Amino acid sequence: MSSLRRSQISISFVCMVLGFMLTMQFRIAMDQRSSLPYQRTEELSARLLQTEKERDALQEQVAKLEEAAAKRTAEPSSQQTIQELRLRSGQVALTGPGVIVTIDDSKIASKAGDNQNLYIIHDDDLLKVINELRAAGAEAISVNGQRLVATSEIRCAGPTLSVNNVRSAPPYEIRAIGDVQTLENSLRMRGGVMETLQVWGIQLEIQASESVTVPAYKGIGTYQYARPAEEASS
Amino acid sequence: MSYALLSLAIGAVLGAFAPIAVPVAYAKLFSVALLASLDSVFGGFRAAMEEKFDNTIFISGFFTNALLAVFLVYVGDHLGIDLYYVALLAFGLRIFQNLAIIRRYFFRKHG
Repeated sequence: MSSLRRSQISISFVCMVLGFMLTMQFRIAMDQRSSLPYQRTEELSARLLQTEKERDALQEQVAKLEEAAAKRTAEPSSQQTIQELRLRSGQVALTGPGVIVTIDDSKIASKAGDNQNLYIIHDDDLLKVINELRAAGAEAISVNGQRLVATSEIRCAGPTLSVNNVRSAPPYEIRAIGDVQTLENSLRMRGGVMETLQVWGIQLEIQASESVTVPAYKGIGTYQYARPAEEASS
Repeated sequence: MSYALLSLAIGAVLGAFAPIAVPVAYAKLFSVALLASLDSVFGGFRAAMEEKFDNTIFISGFFTNALLAVFLVYVGDHLGIDLYYVALLAFGLRIFQNLAIIRRYFFRKHG
């Protein structure tokens, strides 16, 4: 009887310890789920939000200052010139008829021995498309929300593409304003860009639209090294 | 049987409201200890079914198994040998084996 009693006590004790450990483990698992990676994302998104707010505030400031400057240059002709220049340098968001071209990596599996690089989008693919659009008379172009201006670069940055020093991953959305028919035909041309890219299964989708909005250039427009050459010396 | 379940519940409540928490660094060791304990309990259950239950062996097995498992995993971590998975596999296999045996006994008794 006493041995039975002893075993009962020991079993209860062991079961208690086991129960304790089970719930502890459960708590650890819960903690882990709500810990590091999650906190990291939260932190990053919070920082992103703050930075975006700062950016918006700064943009507002820029707009205000420009307004003030515009008021000072009351001359209508100079104001018109400024407007024209701003338009040309991509400082203004533009809208008009055009096309939206969406490019995504190939969905088909590469054949054995094939160069896998051929199945993903590279900077030169994008450059070809943009070049074609420019040749077809596109007046304003943006890639994934980045306006292309005279100093814009398009280059591979690891698995992403960098435009205006902003990286983005596929799919890429190219917006171009211009004559819809011409723009579309320039890409769909026989033996043209679209056909070449589709050989590798790269998905290229052209969507014509009556109103395409191309955002303004968000970078800074000041020159650090270049300054106007004096007319006389040249 | 009932006292075992009752004490399990008491332990669970204690664990849920205990003000201590295992640091994340030791979570791995703790989970191994838990698995070892589970294994011991199932082993004890099986022994009881076989009517070979020995109190001393049960108690000592429960604690030494857990501690030894933790120790081995800890040492393995420091030697760069991932004994964690080995322990998981070994204990897991044994738990399922014991469960199968317990099931057989159960049916032999009641079926």
